[in-house]
Amino acid sequence: MKKLLLFLMAAIFLSASPVDKERSIYRTILNAIFPDKEVIHVWLDNPKKRAIFEKIKRVEVVNDHKRADILILYNSFDVPADNKIIFADGYLVFEHFKNRLVGGFYWQKGRPNLVFIKKNLKDHNISLPPTLKEYIEDDM
Amino acid sequence: MKSISRIYFFLIASIVAAVIYLYYGVSTTNIKLIKNLENIFVIQAGNFAENIEQEIKKHTDQDKRLYDLLKENEDVRKELEHTLSALVTPSFKYVYVLYRDEKGKYRYLLDGSKEDKGSFNQKLDVDKQKWNRCYETKKDQVLMQNNLEGLWITYLKPVVWGSGVEGVIAIDFSTRLPSTIAQATRPLENIFFYIFAAMGILVLILLYQTILSIRTKKESIIDPLTSTYNRNFLRSFLKSINPAKYQIMMLDIDHFKKINDNFGHKAGDLVLREVASVIKSQLREKDHIIRFGGEEFLIFLHKQNKECTAAENISKRLKESIEKRTFTYENTPIHITVSIGITSNPEHFKSVPDAIKRADEMLYIAKREGRNRIIFDNPDKEAHVSEKKTISEVKEALEENRIVCHYQPIVDIKTGDVVKYEALVRMIDKDGKTLLPYLFLESIAYTNIYTDLTKRVLTIVFDQIKLHHLPISINMNISDILDNKIFTIIVDEIEENIQLAKWLVIELLENEHISSVESMRERLSKLKSYGVKIAIDDFGSGFSNFSIFQNLPIDILKIDGSLIKDLDSSKISYSITESITHFAKKLEIESVAEFIHSEEILHIVKDMGIKEGQGFYLGKPSDTIKPEKSGLKQASEISA
Repeated sequence: MKKLLLFLMAAIFLSASPVDKERSIYRTILNAIFPDKEVIHVWLDNPKKRAIFEKIKRVEVVNDHKRADILILYNSFDVPADNKIIFADGYLVFEHFKNRLVGGFYWQKGRPNLVFIKKNLKDHNISLPPTLKEYIEDDM
Repeated sequence: MKSISRIYFFLIASIVAAVIYLYYGVSTTNIKLIKNLENIFVIQAGNFAENIEQEIKKHTDQDKRLYDLLKENEDVRKELEHTLSALVTPSFKYVYVLYRDEKGKYRYLLDGSKEDKGSFNQKLDVDKQKWNRCYETKKDQVLMQNNLEGLWITYLKPVVWGSGVEGVIAIDFSTRLPSTIAQATRPLENIFFYIFAAMGILVLILLYQTILSIRTKKESIIDPLTSTYNRNFLRSFLKSINPAKYQIMMLDIDHFKKINDNFGHKAGDLVLREVASVIKSQLREKDHIIRFGGEEFLIFLHKQNKECTAAENISKRLKESIEKRTFTYENTPIHITVSIGITSNPEHFKSVPDAIKRADEMLYIAKREGRNRIIFDNPDKEAHVSEKKTISEVKEALEENRIVCHYQPIVDIKTGDVVKYEALVRMIDKDGKTLLPYLFLESIAYTNIYTDLTKRVLTIVFDQIKLHHLPISINMNISDILDNKIFTIIVDEIEENIQLAKWLVIELLENEHISSVESMRERLSKLKSYGVKIAIDDFGSGFSNFSIFQNLPIDILKIDGSLIKDLDSSKISYSITESITHFAKKLEIESVAEFIHSEEILHIVKDMGIKEGQGFYLGKPSDTIKPEKSGLKQASEISA
């Protein structure tokens, strides 16, 4: 029975779509950055990605970046100058904003890569749980 | 037929097994082929990694850490990355070198990839557990990348620097590679796909054909009107039946023709359907009902044991249910009755068809005795069943002139002279044994053979009349006179021997109900117009009714032997015989006493005033006519 359960779980994981995988990663990231917030307001520069976030518990996608708790950037290289938490999705955006953003998620060589920047996390008083500590980079 | 089906089945099974085996063989070969190709690529990647390691070592000083060397020397880095990029192909998608930092993270040293290129010291999230093995074992690793997009295999080679590992050379294989290999074997897979698809279609067609065949077969054995089985079913059923397990019932609707004539065929069809439905409702699961003829149903009743009384109970129930039921056709009530004949022990017969025939004979008796009754076969007669002759045997006897007549004298009791003879039909079997009528007449009832036999008897009798100029009587059933075909034959024979007709006496057997008195009178009158005399046989038994003399032109009354034989011991027999004799005298009808078997009986008969007598005491039946003297004459001469 146990073997059957494990087999079924593995099958579900392996058959999960990239969207599901991405949603799972963002759920972990957002819960880590905002562990105590009842509602996390997320602003996206790519409306096509709304579906990923709308299905995450406690997350509300907002159209006005001023209301947002975090800006998730997919392809913008120009963002409002306010002191919002920024997270990059994509290596080029990550490289561009690495002095301001708290972290980034991108695919490289077929592998998902997650990076948090220690200095910027500190600037926003964010403390990550131990499970994500290994993804924190001291210096970029 | 069965063996052909088996061969077909074996052939199909062999073909299917061969195709499955071939498919299994090709699949195994395919897997081996892919594995071998994979190995070739892995070996090739191993060689590339080996060259990369040598190239790195050639460009660097091994006294320093590789990370430090490359960090300090950007030119060397660029040169080495250029070398690495030369190895990148559509199959080997990424070629790069990572090192493990003090925190255990993997970071780029070199990257020759043309896309997704990492920069020096940039982190790359890899499966650390597997990559660490390179550091721990200092041996090459091959990782299957099932969960990484676009990647198939990663080949890892540690860059061993002295006693330590300075980095890991990684070559990622594109998923294009296995799909390219798979494409090579796809035509073969396609062939098998089409073979299996064709076989699947073939199986579906066969399945459809089988269903169709079963449905057609079912339709071919079911009577569409009554939804009972038909004769096609009976034919196959007879092949498998164990007669000991059944009782056979033959059921016929009485006067069915009248329903058709009075109400039309639709009403007839309705009655047939309803009767079949009533019968089915009374039967059990193991019983079988077959529409045997127009309004005739043959029923096989399953026998639980030898003492089973199913036939008795079911036949009574059926008869009563049908009699009580009102069949309604276009608001007109129709009441019907049925006649039933039953063979209780079919296993006592030569074959099941013989047992069916027996049930049919019993049905015939039920009809003859007035209809609306059940007649069981007489178990006492079953001992003779095996001696009974079949239609073909009687036919053969007719063709071989083995149908003959024996003649019993009828004597004038006063004078002792033979005044006439009664012709009694006999069959000589192949062994020369003389057979009595009950052994061969029943089987040919209602057949053309019976008609032929009647004609033959008439011919023989007229030949004897011609020879001896003596009256000779022959026995006929009432139904024979009413049967158009037989009556025509009688008339034809008489007309052919018109001069001899006055010596012919037709004795009507007193064992049948007269269904049409009017028609009977008409036909007897016609026979009498040729001079033929009509006698009523066995009077005092069976259907004896004095009104017969009122309705039919009877010349002679033959008093039944069962009354005569007991005249010396039974007062009732004496009184009845006396009354009949008195009645005959009043009507001026000749009377004949049958079954005179002793001198005492003869005297009683003589005293009663009966003119003529017949019986073993007066003369036994003989194959020839000897008109000289009767037994009585001989006895009186001897005593004188």
